[in-house]
This record gives sequence, C-alpha cells and structure tokens, in this order.
Amino acid sequence: MSEIKVVANILHTNEEITSQNKRLLNEKGIYVINLMSSPGSGKTSLLEKIITKLKDKIRIAVIEGDLYTTKDAERIEAQGVPVVQINTGGACHLDGKMIKGALDSLNLDNVDLLVIENVGNLVCPAAFELGEDIKITVLSTTEGNDKPLKYPRMFENSGAIILNKMDLLELTNFDKAEFYKDINSLNALATIFETSCVRDQDQGIDVLCTWLRQQIQFMKHES
Amino acid sequence: MNLMHEVSIIQSVIDIVTKQALENNLTKINNLSLRIGELSGVMPESLEFAFDSCIKGTMLEESTLNIEIVSALGECKDCNLEFPIEHFNKLCPSCNKFCTNIIRGYELNINTIEGD
Repeated sequence: MSEIKVVANILHTNEEITSQNKRLLNEKGIYVINLMSSPGSGKTSLLEKIITKLKDKIRIAVIEGDLYTTKDAERIEAQGVPVVQINTGGACHLDGKMIKGALDSLNLDNVDLLVIENVGNLVCPAAFELGEDIKITVLSTTEGNDKPLKYPRMFENSGAIILNKMDLLELTNFDKAEFYKDINSLNALATIFETSCVRDQDQGIDVLCTWLRQQIQFMKHES
Repeated sequence: MNLMHEVSIIQSVIDIVTKQALENNLTKINNLSLRIGELSGVMPESLEFAFDSCIKGTMLEESTLNIEIVSALGECKDCNLEFPIEHFNKLCPSCNKFCTNIIRGYELNINTIEGD
C-alpha cells in the first residue's frame, strides 16, 4: 500500500472557474453582488426597489438562482432589465460553473451592476465563491435576531448586511440591540442597512442605493 | 444532482482522488484524510453521510474516511500576534482590536490518500 500526499483544495475546480468569471467581470468594469438570505426574507422585493431607483442612472443586470421556478426572474424582467434564470434543479446553492453559463447569455458590455440572487438558504451558498465583489446578506425581522448566531458563516463573510421588513419590527420579538451586538462580534466591518419594501412607503432604500452607487464608483476608480 | 453542499464537496473529493489515484497507478483507495476548517460551515457528520452514499461504484468504495478538524486562527494586523478565534470572538487578546485576518479555519482540503 502506498500513501500519497495530495494537499488539494476540494473546491479547486469551483475556484478556478470563479477566478475566470471574476477576471472577465473585472475587465468589463462590472460591480458584482452575491445576494444571499433565507427564503422569504425579501431579496427579490429589495431588488425590485433597487432597480426602480437606479435603472435610469446605471445599467443593471440580474442572475436569478432558483431551485425550480422562474417566478423571481419574471418579477425582475417586468422591471425592464436583462435577467438570466438559473434553475439548480434542487441544488441548494449556485456555483462558479452555473454563473459562467449565465454570463454567456448576458451582454456584459452594457452592464455596470450585476446582482446574483442566490438560492434562498442561509447555509450552503456561503461556501461557494461566484466571482463577486461583495457578498450581501439579507435578514428579515420576522426571522428572529438569533440567525447570525445560528448561521455565522454567511454573516461573517458579508461586506454588507441588510435588515429587512423593518415595518414589521414592532410585531415581532426581534431584539435589534442583540442583533447589532452579534454582528459586531462576528463581522465588525460589515455595513448594516435597515430597510422595508412596503409599497409606496419603503424605508432605507435611498440610503442603500446611494451606498451602492458609491461602491460602483469606487471600483471604477480603483481599476 | 447535488442536493446539499456536503454532497457537492464529496463529489469533488471523489473526482480529485480518482484522478490522483490513476496518476499514481492505484486501483483501490483504502484510506482518505481530509482537513476541514472549523469555520467552514461543513458538518463532519454530513460529510461522512454523503461519503458513504457517493463512494458506491467508485475506487473509494471500501475506503475509510478520516476528517481532521482545523482550528481557527487569526493574525492581528496591528501587533502580528497569532491567536485562536471563534465565530463570535475575534478580538486580539493583546490589543483588543477586531481581527480581519483569518489565517486558518476555512480549509476544505484533501490531505492524503492511501491505496494499492
């Protein structure tokens, strides 16, 4: 019997494809967001709000990850921006190879901001890099403030965290002080936003959009 | 179909190990060792479960899986001290600053394979 020292990164194939994606997206000067959360926290609603506010100012494209349906992609398409649907057929996360396929069907010369809406799941997507510039995790007040403690990796690796459904805060037992305390111990550098997407009475979307435009401009200056 | 990420991970492991085994003229794997970082979010129990299901019909079919957990380590950017960290405790014990430089703990690595 012989022993072989392998020392290989298990996700090497994903990381290789991801760095190719990243190189291509950098060349095109596109700012890429990997948007993650549990199902039903409001990723698509937030995205609709962001697109409404920003689509006249910057060119946005969206990749929609979903297990089986095209429901979210239809909502984004109704906003009049290019959208590519990835159906994972039951898989719990997007990976670099799926993104590569989706990029092939977008005209990358006409995009400033690409949002990848990951499969709703607080666990698996955190382990798979997609070639993004930033991971943004959405948590809604109705999910409870214990989620960062229970699913630390996703919050730990995010550059920004959006606390959504602020309009429902008073109806829940969500403890905002605890939430901030936990995020601070887990990821002190994350930028935190508080939003709600109620029709005609949204909150925090302008602040979020201003910040997003700053990030895009900052990236364009860097390159 | 990759229904959970532990299954994706194990399928990658099988691909890499099979390739390495062929390159080294092995036909059967007896032991496989992985190094998994404690911050990686991957559950050893789920990996073992996925492993048992996925190795059927491969050259790893009769192999034993060993998982070594790698403890998390941070390095303070201010004082260069290396110290153990946890998800919710990343303060440098010397200067009390939040550590952004995680140098160990996210590993998902194949370490060694043994075979004939």
